[in-house]
Amino acid sequence: MNLRTAKIISLSLTVLGVFVALQGASFSWFNNHQGYAPAQPINFSHRVHAGDNQIPCLYCHAAAATSKAAGVPAASICMNCHSQTRKDSPEVQKIARAVAENKPIEWVRIHDLPDHVAFNHSRHIAAEIKCQQCHGPVETMDRVAQFETLSMGMCINCHRTHRVVTLDAAGRPQVAQEATRARLLASTDCAVCHH
Amino acid sequence: MSRKRYWKSLDEYRGDAALTEQARDEFPAPPESGVSRRTFIELAWLAAAAVTLQSCNAPEQKIIPYAKQPVELTPGVANWYATTCGGCSAACGALARVCDGRPVKLEGNPEHPLSRGGLCAAAHGELFNLYFAERLRQPLSHGMAAGWDELDVQITQQLAALRQSGGKVCLLTPFIINPTSNEVCDRFLRQIPGARRVVYEAASTAAIRVAHERTHLFAGKPLYHLHKAQLVVSFAADFLSTWGDPVPQMRGYSQARDLRGGRKEMLRHIQFESTLSLTGSNADRRVQIAPAEGFDALLYLAKLSATKNNSASPFAAFEPKHLNANTRQTVEKTAEELQQQRGQSLVVCGWNDADAQAVVNFINQTLGNYGHTIELNAVLANSSDQQMTDLVKEMNDGQVAALLIVGVNPVYSYHDNEALLRGLDKVPLKIALNPTLDETASLADYVCPTPHFLEAWGDATPARGIYSLTQPTIAPLFNTRPWQQSLLKWSGDARDYYEFLRAEWREKLFPQQTKYAKFDEFWDRSLHDGIFVVENSPEPTPAFNAAHLNGAVERLDARAAEAAGKLSLALYQKVSLRDGAHAANPWLQELPDPLTKITWDNYVNVAPKLAEKMRLVEGDVVRLSKGATAIELPVHIQPGQHEDCVSVALGYGRTKAGKAGSNIGANAYPFVTFTNGSFQYETSGVAIELTGTKIEFAKTQTHDSLEGRDLIKEQTLAAYRQAEQQEAHTGPAQSMWPGHEYAEHKWGMVIDLNACLGCSACLLSCQAENNVPVVGKDDVRRRREMHWIRLDRYYEGAPDDPRVAFQLLTCIQCDNASCESVCPVLATVHSGDGLNMQVYNRCVGTRYCANNCALKVRRFNWFNYAHDDVLANLALNPDVTVRSRGVMEKCSFCIQRIEEARIRARNENRPIREGEIQTACQQSCPAGAISFGNLLDAGSRVAQLKRDRRNYVILEELNLQPALSYLTKVRNDEEA
Repeated sequence: MNLRTAKIISLSLTVLGVFVALQGASFSWFNNHQGYAPAQPINFSHRVHAGDNQIPCLYCHAAAATSKAAGVPAASICMNCHSQTRKDSPEVQKIARAVAENKPIEWVRIHDLPDHVAFNHSRHIAAEIKCQQCHGPVETMDRVAQFETLSMGMCINCHRTHRVVTLDAAGRPQVAQEATRARLLASTDCAVCHH
Repeated sequence: MSRKRYWKSLDEYRGDAALTEQARDEFPAPPESGVSRRTFIELAWLAAAAVTLQSCNAPEQKIIPYAKQPVELTPGVANWYATTCGGCSAACGALARVCDGRPVKLEGNPEHPLSRGGLCAAAHGELFNLYFAERLRQPLSHGMAAGWDELDVQITQQLAALRQSGGKVCLLTPFIINPTSNEVCDRFLRQIPGARRVVYEAASTAAIRVAHERTHLFAGKPLYHLHKAQLVVSFAADFLSTWGDPVPQMRGYSQARDLRGGRKEMLRHIQFESTLSLTGSNADRRVQIAPAEGFDALLYLAKLSATKNNSASPFAAFEPKHLNANTRQTVEKTAEELQQQRGQSLVVCGWNDADAQAVVNFINQTLGNYGHTIELNAVLANSSDQQMTDLVKEMNDGQVAALLIVGVNPVYSYHDNEALLRGLDKVPLKIALNPTLDETASLADYVCPTPHFLEAWGDATPARGIYSLTQPTIAPLFNTRPWQQSLLKWSGDARDYYEFLRAEWREKLFPQQTKYAKFDEFWDRSLHDGIFVVENSPEPTPAFNAAHLNGAVERLDARAAEAAGKLSLALYQKVSLRDGAHAANPWLQELPDPLTKITWDNYVNVAPKLAEKMRLVEGDVVRLSKGATAIELPVHIQPGQHEDCVSVALGYGRTKAGKAGSNIGANAYPFVTFTNGSFQYETSGVAIELTGTKIEFAKTQTHDSLEGRDLIKEQTLAAYRQAEQQEAHTGPAQSMWPGHEYAEHKWGMVIDLNACLGCSACLLSCQAENNVPVVGKDDVRRRREMHWIRLDRYYEGAPDDPRVAFQLLTCIQCDNASCESVCPVLATVHSGDGLNMQVYNRCVGTRYCANNCALKVRRFNWFNYAHDDVLANLALNPDVTVRSRGVMEKCSFCIQRIEEARIRARNENRPIREGEIQTACQQSCPAGAISFGNLLDAGSRVAQLKRDRRNYVILEELNLQPALSYLTKVRNDEEA
């Protein structure tokens, strides 16, 4: 195959690819996965747990309070309740089996930032940002879908609004008074997230 | 301060025009390739089309949480475990940072009483060794994969048969400072009649112990308290690099020379040597001696010390015959100085010769240094090089029925390789307990792979009363088993090594303390701290016994006479590969030698005068020979080398050291001689001849010349004491920049050039922390090395005997940054706390910033460097982006550590504490040369050092306003 043929083939493939993609339901603009809602190995409903039963997000995603990662709970966490409730549900039995066999459940990742972004959950939790601000009304979703674009523009819009930092007499950093987000100290320095 | 002319290479010293021309360009001309611009663009379109098709759907990714949540683990939060470095027998205290179950960084344990937070380059490289894909993955029986049970049955049977027949069993180990391992060996040997242990050290220092056995009737290993010394005199001992326990010695040395905080006294260091060593390059007074002068200088010093202290000595009749007038005078002056510092001086000697070491002991004894600057420690099992030589002889006589080799590689490093191989052939049962299939293990009948120290339990006692623990930080990656457990098993003890270790500690160490009533509490505390120090452990004070010096003078004198007038060869170790055990590690292979700046090679160091005489030029391959032993190596012209002496690094020329380490350089071990009961690393009567071929070294310096600028500042101690304040600054008062305002922090770094010893540990620490790739020999030649830290080495004075200065250079984070103003895409911008941020995802690779950087500290990713080894990728720091092709990068002052501390502090609603952030280079610097902190806080250490009168900034005339500044180097010598 000479170069010319290769070029023709590649060009036609490109056109074809774009066409197919436009037709497909899964098409989205590059790197925007808003609305992405894959099927999960366990038919878990956030609506039932976080909505109807009012379980706080941090009960299961406990790492979010102390770590950069929010973490998907270990199967053993589910069994804290399900060793008592709904033991007959086939979905719960899947979890029980995972714990018994010590075989982790492979969840499909929904919210994914590029590798060059260092996002820290704990900082945002401590600054009293609601989980829903980025993740949307998860407590109403049976199957979780990505709600926001999670693009840099989305992050920076918020950071821009809350960036004034002063020091008090004791040398502690203070933000210009904001009624609801008094402890937010958002920086817009690139290296805060990109390093 | 006087201005001196520093130079980096001999070409620059001579003013080579081609070099100056070449040095103008930051990037060398691109190498020729067969692809034209047109073809390139056409291919690029193809790639673009493929990418477009792929990008329509995001690949599905999985999140796999634990099935059962471990208690101490939070995803995304690193755990730290105290452990002990297993890189060499110094056993420094280490902390392992474990992210999501995998160790990603080693740091020094600040609570360790000897290493005190320091860690050397080789220790940082151990992280790579953990994830080294070519480690053995399962036991081997006669070259075939086997199971442990099968192996145990076969070996136990054969050992039982030997017990019956009375065949000789020999256990070959390295020098062991691990009490429990030692106990395991003893138990193993006890149950086989006639079995014995032989200790083998490739780069041996056994003569020191043998000499103490003679002079103090005590098989001890000395521990040097350099921090208590006022004067140290070294005879070719490279104690700041590889000799002895380097990290504790570097710590003590720099502590004794620390002038920060207004101190005006510092340790003085005199070094007598023929080759230029890293230690010699740091000396206040380096005395270049001919190889023949060495023993005479030592003996003469002993004689003078004895005379001055009116002690009877066997040296009374000694008259130095080989000393030249200059050396003689210096020795006399040194003796005078030593006399004034009785009890606070130290004499050390790097020659592995029991006679020379005994003379050193005599001098130290006469000066009253024992009990002050030298502490004698009993060793667990003493050894001499004689034992190894005897073993080889016995093997050749067919007397050894079984040989168990634990963690040593004599087939590579034993000097008389042929005799050893012949001997091994006659040993019916050979069992190797090594981590890789190295030269020795590949000849064994059974190979029992051992885990890396980060996967295993263990302990060590580096000095009297100090015990440290090694704990696993990850489950064993492969089907390995600690060698101790194998030996236990073969001695009929089915216990796990962990259980055995605990039992030993319960029995032997737990009773030595009163703080904890329960053993579990004591164990947990020791494991947490990594260290257990016995209170009030008595220091042995053996009496000196001069009688055994008889004959030493004559023997040393005879050897001096033998060396006179001949070309000598000195074998040395590099800070990277040491004795060759680390050769498989590409991080260490690519670590530039601190003095020669050469990577990926060993070479013959030749004095400029000798090179001139023999018409040798840099890179000429020569044949170095003595008798039938010969190797071919390129020549490096080394300023400071004595013309009667050439030197070659050990540790190269491995044949089974994996992808990176095999067949690099040549093996110089065959030149080791067994003389006077010890392995000796100096030999005379070598010859050099040209082979006619020439190679190009992969050097990281001499790429860019100094252009006569005043980058290093140096002064004498006397001048420093007189000066009352900082030298007047010459920088321009006006600036075209508006300046920056900082609200809370302005990060700054101060490097004390007086403390920096050039050991290069910071380079490796940075490499591990910041996911810096290895580029390989060819790309280093093309000036494409990626190290974020450059350790510049400058010579000053005549090439025959120059003085050396090191300067650690990295991004200095200018306020008036030349890089920031030229980036067309704002990929390098200034942060609110004074950093020059490099934003990888914005960078399009114009390289304008690197061209405009005054210090040439930026590194460009010419390729997507190898990250295809899944196992090696486990060593990557998850908090630092892995950069891709076409992106510029540079030192970030460890921004990930700053951010981590900032988030922690803000979550706790408090300011960042002083000392809370330590950069990777700073944390484990054995010399404590680097300080980092907030310049806006007037009380911070870094702000105080910024006001120190020795403080200066580099290229001040450019008004860069850098955040990194230096403290001048001070030499404790009357001559500037």
